[in-house]
This record gives sequence, structure tokens and C-alpha cells, in this order.
Amino acid sequence: MTVLTNYLKLAFAYTKLNLNAQLEYRGAFFSQVVAMFVNNIVWVWFWVLFFSRFKVLRGWDINDVVTLWCIAASGFGLAHTVCGNALQLPVLIARGQLDVWMLYPRALLPHILLGRMSATAWGDAIFGYVIYLIFIKPDLQHFSLFVALTVSVAFLFVGFSIFTGSLTFFLGNSESLAEQWRYAMITFSTYPATLFEGGVKIILYTLIPAVFVSYYPIIALREMSLFNAAIAVAGSAAVVAAGVFVFYFGLRRYESGNLMEMRG
Amino acid sequence: MIKSSLSAVNKYWWIALTSAKSNLAYLAEIGSRVFFLGVILYIFLRLWQVTYGETGSQTLGGFTLPQMLWYLAITESIILSGPRVAQSVDQDVRTGAISIHFIRPLSYPLYCMFNTLGERTVRFAVNASVGALIAFLFVGFVPVNAMSILFFLAVLPLAFVIDFLGNFLIGLAAFWLEDTNGLVLIYSRLTMILGGMLIPMELFPDSWQNVLKFLPFSAIVYAPARLFVDPNLIFFQEVMVRQVVACLVFGGAVFAVYRIASRRVFANGG
Repeated sequence: MTVLTNYLKLAFAYTKLNLNAQLEYRGAFFSQVVAMFVNNIVWVWFWVLFFSRFKVLRGWDINDVVTLWCIAASGFGLAHTVCGNALQLPVLIARGQLDVWMLYPRALLPHILLGRMSATAWGDAIFGYVIYLIFIKPDLQHFSLFVALTVSVAFLFVGFSIFTGSLTFFLGNSESLAEQWRYAMITFSTYPATLFEGGVKIILYTLIPAVFVSYYPIIALREMSLFNAAIAVAGSAAVVAAGVFVFYFGLRRYESGNLMEMRG
Repeated sequence: MIKSSLSAVNKYWWIALTSAKSNLAYLAEIGSRVFFLGVILYIFLRLWQVTYGETGSQTLGGFTLPQMLWYLAITESIILSGPRVAQSVDQDVRTGAISIHFIRPLSYPLYCMFNTLGERTVRFAVNASVGALIAFLFVGFVPVNAMSILFFLAVLPLAFVIDFLGNFLIGLAAFWLEDTNGLVLIYSRLTMILGGMLIPMELFPDSWQNVLKFLPFSAIVYAPARLFVDPNLIFFQEVMVRQVVACLVFGGAVFAVYRIASRRVFANGG
């Protein structure tokens, strides 16, 4: 428990520090946040248009799809607001830039992840919570479950980035592979999972675990089902466990880039 | 006069050709990125298959399911083939590299345009080949005749030029703004949605269709794909007029902004 509290304090300290660093370039920061917010609005607008023409899609209506977008965006945003380095992992490994992180007494992986913040992730996170409140108008119970599920989705995205990024230990520079895989994950996470059948459904439970973003959380919120929420959380935990395992297993193969680096 | 004009055309033609050739050298790298195209086309196929199935209609907005998927294969290929023009111009402005172009016997905007067209041609050819293969595997061929291909090839270059001009204008904003990434993101999403990448214009509400027709986005994405799957001489003529007008308006804006921006360049050192 003390260790957990300790790492939560570290996460808070890093988030504050990273935010202050971002605010040094206020104009750039706010323009990226607003742009990402508008970007997500444009996608939701597409779905509003779609559902104005076709009312129901495999039992899903506009509220379900907006909830899906809010969960996916706020989960992704939360993940990379706090753990922005998750997206940089393949580059850090390929260039042998982990040395500097190894010198600290903290556990390597969480410390690396906390080291950076993505500015656009703020736009995602804010969009998710604001649009959910405005569009869905949830009661306290629904909103509490929504917030809990966004944390679960955030862990899933971080775990997935660790997993795909850590393949660099085995494949050399897998930046492009990790990026393509991540795009596939994000894309599948933003369409109703009920569209897919057969072999693709199996992929959505394994290689691209999007059902834990685009299916179970939505059903959990629609039916206020803690069982479906528990499946979503279990899926995220499995992805994080797989990512952590692959990272530390691959770390044995890590070779330093002999780079001179300073961290401010 | 004629000789110097021909020489200028020749110069920029070679820039486009060199850019295309250098991109051909990285075909494997471009090819590795078509995975995403496959993913997105598969998702759209399912989305529209389910939609056609649930509505019980043979056509939606005048499109059959095969036409819809071929339409989406073309629109996705157009969108995913776009080079990072704005980011490149932004970098040239911020690093001061743009000043090097001032001493060259070239126009910087024209250099960027032909360089981009060369790169985009290769990227589009790869994307369209893969998109066509995927569409064929999922829904088979759609009836295509010489007119489809002719109209499509006539409007595609102008679509690329309009898109370039839009991106170039955003890149030039780096003279005044701290960061242009946000503008790039918004522009690209507007091109996708208002351009008809995900949903053809015919399926937009009627009141929207009239507005969107006059925006340049549909001339970049919707028009070439629509002409490919459903060639129509009257629509082709309309598209050509809209594209020429968009080129003139955007070209004029680039000319004016570039002139003002050029005065803000300060070169120091040797």
C-alpha cells in the first residue's frame, strides 16, 4: 500500500512537472488541445449525421456510439497525459536511450512512462468527460462508472503501447509496426464492436483487444452491469500484465546506445 | 518568352519526376503503411454491409454496396496519400531553411508543389493498387469504362493541387503562429468529413449538400471517387469548374500570404 501511495505521488509530481513544461509554450499547448477537441467533435458529428439517416446499427444508437467515443477518447487521453512516454517506447529502446532511466532508484518501466506528457492527450481527455456530461447527461451512478471505466481503458492503452513498443527489443526498430498496430487498435476502438464477426472478433479479444474499449464498457454503462465492467477491467489488467512481461523479458536483450544525455 | 516558359515548365517537371523517383526507392516503406488502409477499408465494409442489410436497400444515395466500397477505397487512397506539406513548410520557416530557397532560381511555392505532386503520385498509386485489391476481394469489380478512368484522371491532379495549396497556406502560418500542428489536424479532419471520405455527399442532409458543394473539400475527395464509380459528363464539367475556381482562390491566397510572409524573413550570418 505504501509503495502504491508512493508511486501515485510520483505520478502526480511528474504530471505537474510535465504540465508546467508544456505551459512554457502556452500557445502551442492550447492550440493542440483545442485542435484535438475539435478533431473528436468532427468525428462525433459524423456519427450524428450517420444516425440521423440510419437510426440503429446492430442494436446501437447514437447514445451508445457517443459513449464509445467518450470512453475511448478520455481513456486514451488520460493514459498519455500521465504516461506520455508510452508512445515513445520503441524509439527509446531502438536508440538505446533507456540508460538514463536505469540510474534512478525507481522501478524502470513506470518511471519511463511518467517521463513525458502528450499535449494533444489533454484535448482527448477533456473531450471525453465534457461531451459525456453534455450529450448523455448521466446521473451520478452512471458518471461514476464512466470515470472508473475510463481509468480501466487508460490502463489498457498504456499496456498495449508497452506491449507493442517492447517488441523493439526483439525485432530491432519496430516503430513503424508499433505505430500501425496502435492505429489499428484506436480505429477498432472507435467503431461499434457489434459490427465484427468470426475471426475478426477473436482478433479483437487478443491481438487488437478493442472489445475492452468498444464493447464491454458500453454494455456496462447501458445496463449498469458490474459484471461487464469487471470483464473490461480484467481485459485491461491482462493487457497490462502482458505488456509488463514482454518489456522486462525483452530488457535482457537491451543494448545501450552510449549516448550522453541530461534530464532537466 | 516561349523558350523561357518552356524552360520553367521543364524545370518543375524534373522536380516532380525526381521526387517521384526518390519515393519509388522507398516503396517497401510506403507499402508497410498500407496495413492501416486495409484495416480501415475492412471496418467500412462491415459498417456499410450492416447498414445496407438493416435498411434492406439495394442502393443508398444512389450507390450499390460494391460502388460504395470502391468509392471508399478511392477516397481513403486520396486521403492517406497526402504528404506532410504543412509540417515541412513549418520546419523551413522555423529553421530559416526557407531563406536558402530565395537565392535559388526557383519559386519556393512551385518547388514545394511539384515536389509534393511527385511524392503524392507514387503514394496514391500504391494506396490505390492495394485499395483496389481489397475492394475486389471483398465485393468484386464495379463496372468501370474508359469514361470513368478519363474523368477520374482529369480531376485527380487538380484535387491534389487544391489540397497542396490548403496545406501550404497552413504551413505559412508558421510565420505568425507558435505551432501549426493544431491547424493541420483540423484541416485534415474537415477534408475527411466534409470532403466525403466516410460518407458520400448524397447521404448528407439536403441542406448540407448545397453548402458542401461550394467548399473545396468535396472537390478534393468526393468528386474524383464519385466520377470513378459513376461517371457523368455534366457532373464532370461542374467539378472541373469548381476545381479551377478553388485553385484560383487558393492560389491567389498563397501568392498574397507568401508575399507578406517573405518580408518577415531575416537572414543573419554567413
